[in-house]
Amino acid sequence: MRRTARPLSGAMAGAALAVAAVGALAVNTAPAYAADGGGTLEVYPSSAVPGGQVSVNTKACGDKASAAGDASAVGAGPFTLAPSAHEGDAIGQFRVPESAQPGTYEIVAECAEGGRRVTGDLVVTLTAAQGQAQPRGSVKTGVGGALGRDPAQTAAGVAALAVAAAGGTWLLHRRARGDGI
Amino acid sequence: MRRIGNTAIATVTVVALCSGAWLLHGGAGTHAPPQPAAAEGLPDPGEEQLTAPALPPSPPTRIRIPSIRVNAPLTGLGLTRSGSLDVPPAGDKNLAGWYEAGTTPGERGTAVVAGHVDNAEGPAVFYDLGALKKGAAIEVDRRDGSVALFTVDAVEVYAARDFPDEKVYGAARRPELRVITCGGGYSKATGYQGNVVVFAHLTGSR
Repeated sequence: MRRTARPLSGAMAGAALAVAAVGALAVNTAPAYAADGGGTLEVYPSSAVPGGQVSVNTKACGDKASAAGDASAVGAGPFTLAPSAHEGDAIGQFRVPESAQPGTYEIVAECAEGGRRVTGDLVVTLTAAQGQAQPRGSVKTGVGGALGRDPAQTAAGVAALAVAAAGGTWLLHRRARGDGI
Repeated sequence: MRRIGNTAIATVTVVALCSGAWLLHGGAGTHAPPQPAAAEGLPDPGEEQLTAPALPPSPPTRIRIPSIRVNAPLTGLGLTRSGSLDVPPAGDKNLAGWYEAGTTPGERGTAVVAGHVDNAEGPAVFYDLGALKKGAAIEVDRRDGSVALFTVDAVEVYAARDFPDEKVYGAARRPELRVITCGGGYSKATGYQGNVVVFAHLTGSR
């Protein structure tokens, strides 16, 4: 959703394009079918206000690899993407300058090893995206399924009644034979 | 001897009859999820609370609430057509969700997490949420590798008919978290009549 599909960044742009891109760039990347973030820079949030903080992450550099980030398009300058524990992503942060103008800016990261370049888009807006659509009302998070009778309890009840029936029959039988109850 | 045998059998028969009837009639309880006590309500607004500095935004990946044995992955949630928060797919009973267009947990503002109290098969991820106490810990793993640590301020139950939107979803000056599930009484006709809402604020990170 937030990922930008650019022909040059490969994997997201469909298998054919990705194969072409990989060929053109002559880099050894993840298989073209590894569509999930294999070749892009994820920007979060994808829309920020001047002064806001932005996180970027990418899987493109492989496990435990760092990358050099560049947010100078939006006026934030270079930053570092460090390897993280989360699924081998390289992660970095920068702050959008207070002076940034609204618009779409390309954020770039270059893997420390191999020099692979990935990009993602950041949209700068003057009003915060948050709070525009705040949820309202209650949440439908249950159907009452926990309120049904426990099957084990039902079985125990049936078993107990069976015992009672057997006992009752036995007693009636004895009485009929005149065994003196 | 025979008299003792008869008495024993009669006793067993009566006990079995009574317990069988009790078990089938409903037994020890109807398995309704726990609901919060009034003592877990919201504190006075003036009360001083220690708050940790806000973290940079990063999407959450997992929520853990050790005191009620919750440990579940988080999926992104949007809004329904009526503007209410959507819910995670009901089929997976150990899955919670977070409001993706809102604040990320740990960031300044109000982050919202929701999960099912039950599904058609039985109890689900937030079944015990109503039993949570003030001061309990909530941990949220984030994609940047950090863990946001929250402390519970209150556990409330609100009726769907009169839901306090601003209190639950409204913006906060500090990093806060809401954890929501169904609750507040159940009727076959209308389902659960409201929501259990846990209020928490950021007290640390690692």
